[in-house]
Amino acid sequence: MKFNIKNILYISTVAIGLIAAGCKSDFLNVNNTPNNPLTVPPTALMTTLAYDAAFVNSNDLGRITSVLMQYQAGVGNQVAGYDSYNIRGNSDNQWNGELYAGLLINAQKMIDNTQATSPAYAGIAKIYKAYGFGLTTDLWGDIPYSEALKGTSILNPKLDTQKDIYLGTPSVQSLFDLVKEGLADLDKKSTLNPGTDDVVYKGNLANWKRLGNTLLLRFAIIISRVQPERAKTEIAAVLASSAGLIVDNTQDFQVGFSTAAGGQNPIYAFNFVNRPDDQFLSQRFRDTLLDYKDPRISKFFTLPSGTTYVAWNNGTTGTLPLPPTRSRYGVFLTGATGEAPIRMITNFQRAFMLAEAALSLNTAGDAQKLYEEGIRASMLKTGLVTAEIDAYFKANSNVITLTGTTSQKINQILTQKWIANCGNGLEAYNDWRRWGFPRLEKALNATGGDDNTIPVRFPYTGNEQLSNPNIPTPGPKTFERIWWDID
Amino acid sequence: MNKKLLISFVFVCVLVFQSFAQDRTISGKVTSSEDGTELPGVSVSIKGTTRGTTTATNGTYKINVPANATLIFSFVGFSSQNISVGSQTVVNAKLTSNIEELSEVVVTALGIEKSKRELNYATQTVKGSDISQKGEPNVLNALQGKIAGVQIVGASGEAGASTNINIRGISSFTGSNQPLFIVDGIPISNDLDRTNGGPNGTLGGPQSSNRALDIAPENIESIDVLKGPAAAALYGSRASSGAIIITTKAGKGGNFNRKMEVTVNSSYTVQNVYGYPELQNDYGQGLTTIFNPASLNSWGPKFGTTPTIANGLLLADGNTRKNPDGTDYQYQAYPNNVNNFFKQGTILNNSVNLQGGNGTQSYSMLVSNTGQKGIIPGSEFNRTNISFGGNTTLANKIKFGGTFNYTLTDQNNFLTGNNSSAPAVLSSLPRSYDLQGLPNTDLSGKSIYITTADNPYWSINNNKTTSSVDRITGNLNLSYDITPWVSVNYRLGLDTYTDRRKQIFAIGAARLPTGGIFEDIYYRSEINSDLIFRFKKDKLFSENINFTGLLGYNVNQRKFQNVSAYGGGLTLPNYYNINNATTYTSANGATGESNSLRRLIGYYGQVSLDYKKYLFLELTGRLDQSSTLPVANNSFFYYSGSLGLSLTDAFNIKSDVFSFGKLRVSYARVGKDADPYLLNSVYTTTAQGNNVSSISFPINGQAGFSIGTRIGSGDNLTPEFTTAYEIGANIGLFKNRLNLDLAAYQTISTNQILNVTVAATTGYRTRTTNIGKLTNKGIEATLGYKVLSGRAFTWTLSANYTLNRNNVDEIGAGIKAFNIPGSSFIGSAPSIVEGRPYGVILGNMRARNPDGKFIVNPQTGLWIAAIPNQEIANPNPDAIIGISNTFGYKGVGLSFLFDSQQGGQFVSFTLASLKGSGALKETAIDREKPRVIDGVFLNADGSYTPNNIQIDAQNYFNQGLQTDLNVYGATVYRLRELTLSYQLPKNLLAKLPFGGVSLSFSGRNLFFYAPNSLIDPELNTQGAGNIRGLELQSSPNTRNFSANLRLTF
Repeated sequence: MKFNIKNILYISTVAIGLIAAGCKSDFLNVNNTPNNPLTVPPTALMTTLAYDAAFVNSNDLGRITSVLMQYQAGVGNQVAGYDSYNIRGNSDNQWNGELYAGLLINAQKMIDNTQATSPAYAGIAKIYKAYGFGLTTDLWGDIPYSEALKGTSILNPKLDTQKDIYLGTPSVQSLFDLVKEGLADLDKKSTLNPGTDDVVYKGNLANWKRLGNTLLLRFAIIISRVQPERAKTEIAAVLASSAGLIVDNTQDFQVGFSTAAGGQNPIYAFNFVNRPDDQFLSQRFRDTLLDYKDPRISKFFTLPSGTTYVAWNNGTTGTLPLPPTRSRYGVFLTGATGEAPIRMITNFQRAFMLAEAALSLNTAGDAQKLYEEGIRASMLKTGLVTAEIDAYFKANSNVITLTGTTSQKINQILTQKWIANCGNGLEAYNDWRRWGFPRLEKALNATGGDDNTIPVRFPYTGNEQLSNPNIPTPGPKTFERIWWDID
Repeated sequence: MNKKLLISFVFVCVLVFQSFAQDRTISGKVTSSEDGTELPGVSVSIKGTTRGTTTATNGTYKINVPANATLIFSFVGFSSQNISVGSQTVVNAKLTSNIEELSEVVVTALGIEKSKRELNYATQTVKGSDISQKGEPNVLNALQGKIAGVQIVGASGEAGASTNINIRGISSFTGSNQPLFIVDGIPISNDLDRTNGGPNGTLGGPQSSNRALDIAPENIESIDVLKGPAAAALYGSRASSGAIIITTKAGKGGNFNRKMEVTVNSSYTVQNVYGYPELQNDYGQGLTTIFNPASLNSWGPKFGTTPTIANGLLLADGNTRKNPDGTDYQYQAYPNNVNNFFKQGTILNNSVNLQGGNGTQSYSMLVSNTGQKGIIPGSEFNRTNISFGGNTTLANKIKFGGTFNYTLTDQNNFLTGNNSSAPAVLSSLPRSYDLQGLPNTDLSGKSIYITTADNPYWSINNNKTTSSVDRITGNLNLSYDITPWVSVNYRLGLDTYTDRRKQIFAIGAARLPTGGIFEDIYYRSEINSDLIFRFKKDKLFSENINFTGLLGYNVNQRKFQNVSAYGGGLTLPNYYNINNATTYTSANGATGESNSLRRLIGYYGQVSLDYKKYLFLELTGRLDQSSTLPVANNSFFYYSGSLGLSLTDAFNIKSDVFSFGKLRVSYARVGKDADPYLLNSVYTTTAQGNNVSSISFPINGQAGFSIGTRIGSGDNLTPEFTTAYEIGANIGLFKNRLNLDLAAYQTISTNQILNVTVAATTGYRTRTTNIGKLTNKGIEATLGYKVLSGRAFTWTLSANYTLNRNNVDEIGAGIKAFNIPGSSFIGSAPSIVEGRPYGVILGNMRARNPDGKFIVNPQTGLWIAAIPNQEIANPNPDAIIGISNTFGYKGVGLSFLFDSQQGGQFVSFTLASLKGSGALKETAIDREKPRVIDGVFLNADGSYTPNNIQIDAQNYFNQGLQTDLNVYGATVYRLRELTLSYQLPKNLLAKLPFGGVSLSFSGRNLFFYAPNSLIDPELNTQGAGNIRGLELQSSPNTRNFSANLRLTF
């Protein structure tokens, strides 16, 4: 190459350009992420809360409790383990991602972001938060609550006892008070109000108040065996509330899903897309419904061929029926391709709860009427028409009539509630632990759990034990009852 | 700032227009004093300056010298000579051979060449000839066993699989622990990007390459490994894990005078599966000794058993079983149904290299292609490199040079991993399943197999992954001697590539029954600019002190982008355009983009002083400003110092036994900035769930965001620091025929920038903070011994030894342990545990009593439930040893490399699966005999009684996947390389058009012995990165044989 002043000058210019670049004052100021927003409007969190709640209800916690409550028999992978009562070490994702760092923190963020300006959002978030914490303590007993969700300010949240969480102390706000605070927020003036972002009630705050009251009823029922007086007081209060309870199926607290992958409900995604071979209809649920001649079986489960629902006795070893011949969750729970709603707190639950309370706590209402109302609401919900329901009631008065001792009647109510709650194992699991109804035989060949019996609590998760010294390790055994589970 | 700009401009102007008039030209010839042969390539430099040249092929040189110059003639293998020019115009030199002198030149930080004698810290050089033509396309694998202090583990024998390299252990909790790669003076990316498609994410993806794989071994002139931070302080933060400095043939530089030389390399390699566990061939498909055509197990009846209804070999109606085509079913072993799945792999490599020069200009060009067909049908790796390099001295004495490299790397791959991948299905293939004879695809294109798992053939034929990398690296160099003792050098480097990936799940794929297409594009670009002033002054202040120094200014920018789109629910089969999808999901970033931009400005300096050429002092310092740290506090300073004393020179020891001895000591502290965007907490698109069910937004057109799971550091973040102490010795014995290099070091890494796990009950999963302390202590030794160095027969022995002990001293604030981020399963997760070495694997530990006996369930005779989150394996080796011998006789050379890893453990999913399914050879030994687990019952009173319950083999070997029962020892002894080469003698060549012909045969991984493992322990499914010690069902390793031909024209 010959000396060429142009070349040299060109290279020099490039060199200077780079040197100069280093001198520009904003050259180093490039650390604002283009990948994620630093703030979001409340609408974006609102939709998240609904799906977070529905997901935690129907994903693994729902699956475990649905197997423990013998709606389903687990025959493959993890679910087979659940049917052997092997639930230890399985719920890290639920505790971490679905509850505390999912539904609960997003509810807390919503409260922090909107309390001052748009309390309508904060109020709804408090109802979600109470639902989430209730669900968590019902499974695990004593949990981080009053010190939880505080980020770096409290890195190792302490456990609050379940008693304190439900009843409150001067330093611990009770779940009842949390809901009541949320209900009060809904009456405040709010700059922004939810609309289509609220996929549950489309911004209808009256329905949110009904849900809030029904959630208070639900909490009262949950503690009714250990704290009957408190339960009675709370129930009396919600019955007196002008805002009312959920009294119609259209007011149910449920979240609709979509037919598109990524938006399909977990019941469908698990049973029909990702793990179709892992579980199917439990023989106990089938036999109960067949015994009651209950038409809902065709809504809850598929009839693969012929007239026989192909079920499995939980825990049996032996040759399984081939997957295509098994009865799996039906369209009522899955939708055609995953769009069915996840139903969390419903009108039929309200009726059954009030029926139970009328018997056990002497609260207002006629147990028989409420019991029938619950069955009817559930049947309507599954898509049966009034004529069919009337015919069923007529032909099966033994089923729809409460008879015998209070305990026998409560057994009837909770058995019907168990049937109605198919797909929502968490509710049935609470009722079963409170009363032992419906009576369930232990799964065959169960070797898991800490004494091979149906677990009555969930063991603390490994991640939390590793990262939070306040969590006892090894922690309570699966047969050690939680506070509200007195027998 | 403007002032700086002005100074720079003035400087460049001066550089361009200044010239010197008083020089004159000297020429001469350099020959060997022994036989008078002309010596090409001898370095001729002017004492006290940085100016110099090299001799041409006929030994001649020309150089411009100032008045009263002294010329230094130096050449590897010869004693250097100083000749004062005086008034001569012709200066000839005769150099005396001194092979044993410790004068080897090594390349250190910023390309500074130093003789080993002057170095105060450990480095090691590997010549290009030791890594090319070894039947190994990945340069990192070719380094295995050759360098002390370095651990290199390949992912598997899959074509294009990545390789992990750690120098002196692991110093960063969650950051990269790979060394910095420098090619021809510029940093390049050795990143590993995983393809994340499908419900298993990275756990089930293909084995992607680490990008150092884009370097063609045949283009490498030499590799220098700088081990400690002391050696690398001048490269800044990224070299805190050491640096691999590669000099390419094109980038070698120097203005040699040589006619054009053309070198043609060709090699052909065959690869065969080696190291897969041995399988049994006595029992076939079924469970509990009953044949079952739906079973994935080999616990069925023994072959040759009379068919009965009871053993399932006859149908319930007493008829014989039929094949789908109506013929009688034969219950028999297919002993090679797994082995025959793998085919012989081949690697064909061709390269042409041109080099030439005329003393003021030189050029080099390389075209190279490597084509590999892997051991799994359809897996391929193909790399084409084109490189140019040139240097010229312009009329105004400015030296100008540059290189340009273009690389095209294609990798065709298949799924690996635990769920339904071909290697996973193979590891529970019933021994009586005729995998090769039975159909694998039905008329509709779906898989045919025993269960819904994908038939391995169907899987590799349909679920494909491709990667196509276009990469350009290049640099420009300008240098100029301002005065005899000050020179300036400007270097601009670029490394940029785009990796276009595509992952396909065909309709019917077990992991994704509705099919899916995952488009995944990675872009990386790094621009690096260095302006360096070098100073060299002999006799500074005193007769006895010589000084060299430099001042530098570095600007570095790195850009990254990953754009991905994921489409599911394919409508047409065999049509893999993403517009064939019906749903597009953003779950876990499947559709979306990720960008980053980071910048760094560094100011650095080095001072080297020697006293009477026996006491060497070197000091460095560097100030970095990084864009990734809080703006108010974005600069940090770090430094190093080293001292070396040549005992033999200092005390004037002249001994034929103790020929050379040097002691050295160094201290270094290196700072490291953060990754971009760690300061703020952010919101993310909501996604929940995992591979069994998941949701991602938008749903029904409704957006959803969640607070991110990481708490940003805020403005409190400070740089990480690693402090290193090293002492070492170089000893030369017997006229330096035996050289020993010893080093002992300790590195302490503190203030780690970490997304440290927090209890989820805080509402988050991690927070970014400075935390923790990690130490490495180690010993390294390299030995070189010229056992025989006669003219006819030579024998060189070299050996290296590596010992590193790592300890997580402290994590911080109540945290005792957390899982290393990356692709591992909960339940066998490589973790950081306080008080333990880095990366121990936490998994399910079978309960034992205090005497170490298993606690057995008194009802079943089986192990009671395992205890989760226990340390089940430690992947860190106790020691690594490499020994190589090279023999030469006339033109024939024979070398072999033996290496060994001592200690270390790994978890093997393949063995767990082979065991549990009864396919492993061990499961057939005495299969009918009952087993009794060597354990005890726990009695109600807390005492123990011995287990006496007999269980069958099937129950005994069903030991679970992620338990301590699937942990194996990684100790291995390996014949890594064997090479036989032949160089055609000169008298034969005279009749041929070639300047040189050499032919070699080499073998790699010829033999291994692993006393504590049934599978080759050198498998690390997740490849390069911090996840180690997990074999998660990928390709097995291979044994390679290659034939190589090198022609020089």
